[in-house]
Amino acid sequence: MTRVQRGRGGWVSSSRGMVGARVAVMLCAILVVAGCSSKKAKQVNAPGPASPLGEQNQNGSSLSQFQNGSLGSGANGPLSDIHFGYNDYTIQPQDGDVLRSNAKWLNDHPQSRVQVEGHCDERGSEDYNIALGAKRAQAAKDYLVTLGVSPGRISTISYGKELPICTEQTEDCWAQNRRDHFAVSQ
Amino acid sequence: MRRRITNRIVPVYAALTSYSRLPLIAACGAVIVFALSVGAPAGAQPIKMYIQGPGSQLSAISISGLKDLGGDSDHSLSSEFVGTLRRDLELSGYFRIIDPHAYIEDPQTSGYQLGQFNFADWRSINSDFLVKGAVKVDGGNVQLTALLFDVAQQRRMMGKEFTGSASDAPRMARRFADAVLESTTGQNGPFDTKLAFVSTRGGRFKEVYTQTIDGQDPFRLTDNPTINIFPSWDRSARHILYLSYKSMEPALYLADLQAKRETRIVSSHGRVIGGAISPDGQRIVAAVEHAGTTNLFILTRDGEELAQLTDTSGINVSPAFSPDGSKIAFTSDRSGTPQIYVIPAGGGAAKRLTYSGDYNTTPAFSPSGDRIAYQSRHGRFDIFVIPSSGGEPKQLTDGEGSNEYPSWSPDGRYIAFSSTRSGRSRIYVLMVINQKIIGPLTEGKGDDTCPAWSWWLGE
Repeated sequence: MTRVQRGRGGWVSSSRGMVGARVAVMLCAILVVAGCSSKKAKQVNAPGPASPLGEQNQNGSSLSQFQNGSLGSGANGPLSDIHFGYNDYTIQPQDGDVLRSNAKWLNDHPQSRVQVEGHCDERGSEDYNIALGAKRAQAAKDYLVTLGVSPGRISTISYGKELPICTEQTEDCWAQNRRDHFAVSQ
Repeated sequence: MRRRITNRIVPVYAALTSYSRLPLIAACGAVIVFALSVGAPAGAQPIKMYIQGPGSQLSAISISGLKDLGGDSDHSLSSEFVGTLRRDLELSGYFRIIDPHAYIEDPQTSGYQLGQFNFADWRSINSDFLVKGAVKVDGGNVQLTALLFDVAQQRRMMGKEFTGSASDAPRMARRFADAVLESTTGQNGPFDTKLAFVSTRGGRFKEVYTQTIDGQDPFRLTDNPTINIFPSWDRSARHILYLSYKSMEPALYLADLQAKRETRIVSSHGRVIGGAISPDGQRIVAAVEHAGTTNLFILTRDGEELAQLTDTSGINVSPAFSPDGSKIAFTSDRSGTPQIYVIPAGGGAAKRLTYSGDYNTTPAFSPSGDRIAYQSRHGRFDIFVIPSSGGEPKQLTDGEGSNEYPSWSPDGRYIAFSSTRSGRSRIYVLMVINQKIIGPLTEGKGDDTCPAWSWWLGE
């Protein structure tokens, strides 16, 4: 098992700066996704109300997929999810190959950016799961960085247990939901 | 000869006639002392009343219609007042409401003051307590008088006069219900308050709603197709703090319900993913995530940082202020599993409170500060309580469904929580002293979670 360690520190940026940077990343994502949305559009099974970010974002984040009803439809983009144990954020050995493959794709597409989304199963409190999802997203980001992907191309977000792709109360379902999803924006 | 008002056995569901589809779950035999302030008759002593949960003794109370002193000839105000009062006293867990069909006298022909009606009419239907009153409407102005009588001792226990508009009748009833509890138990009731919660009743998206404890005045605070969770109140019940993904990332918002505007709480340290307002409303304890690490900070409402409370490389979330604002309870994984800790609000060493169970979270201080309620996983979750200075945890819910998000009533006798005991997640209340489950307080489509019980609304 690979336990990704992180140091502390580096909490230096001003809030406005950080928010600004994120907004910039999101706007980039929207603009970039717009270019490839047409060929992906047919994978969206259940179009719902348009998201505030517009049609072109429909293969973007899990939240925008949830908004337009396509979450869990398999429109996952070029990178594969990885999965976690219960209440755990360590990268599992079998996911090393997935991350290497994801890193290779990112290294082959240097203009692309990725937002790593941490997700949790439905058990536990919403707030603890948001923090746990942040750990899971950061674990994958750190792993991708060790594989040569520039940290500046990788953002993270946690959706906690809010966006399950499987809603039955079974271990199999929970295992699918304990995931990092990689939303590529080019 | 004074009739004991204690030893009547009532069927399990009798106390909840209009909520009879709601489950009452077995509880253990705690004893409640009713400190009746018996003033007048000679030799009257405080009466001990034993309430041992469902199946045991509840006080029987009759709630008579209000006498129309002009302007309420269709008795609509009377019905609103009596209906709300009935519901609240049923929800209190202390009373069994005697069916109005059994009432002998007509409130419109009899009087409502002591000496103007016959206690025998109420004693004969085994009423321990009696509420009578009158209402007068003058223009848009409503004057409402309500009185509580001890039937056995044939004395007036308490009376209130309310003035307001016609739409205030339910609020008057909630305030009178609180006064009835104060008069019969020695402690003000919890009904002149609000409940905030999260629901998917409007569709797929979690939105924040408020309502009264008895299910009236539904109000939808958020309306965006994302995720809105964790509402919490300030003590004025004017502000609600909540987490929303409406900007497509998690952020904390402070909504002013009166001014109908809100501010986003930001931190220079990263994303704010949770928080709570201090009792004085001036500070916010925020869970701030950066690079996967979540720590707690004390911020002003403008986001200025006053103190960093935790500094671990793991998870520190679910902060809750003590009622005097001096301490913060929170959840941390520093031991390897989520456990409850308490730390001084000005910073200092964190003290670990929970040692049993491998997943303890969502701590909430009792209004007196002596206890902390939280949820603990053993299979699914149950609500537990532990002394805030440390000690033995006590399980309060019964293992039916998953029981989460404890939130104390301001009088400290009740805890609201969410439970899947009847399928969909609903908000329920438990009586802390005997673990009686009351509710659900919510209904309809969708799942209801994350309850937050406000302080008393005040004038």
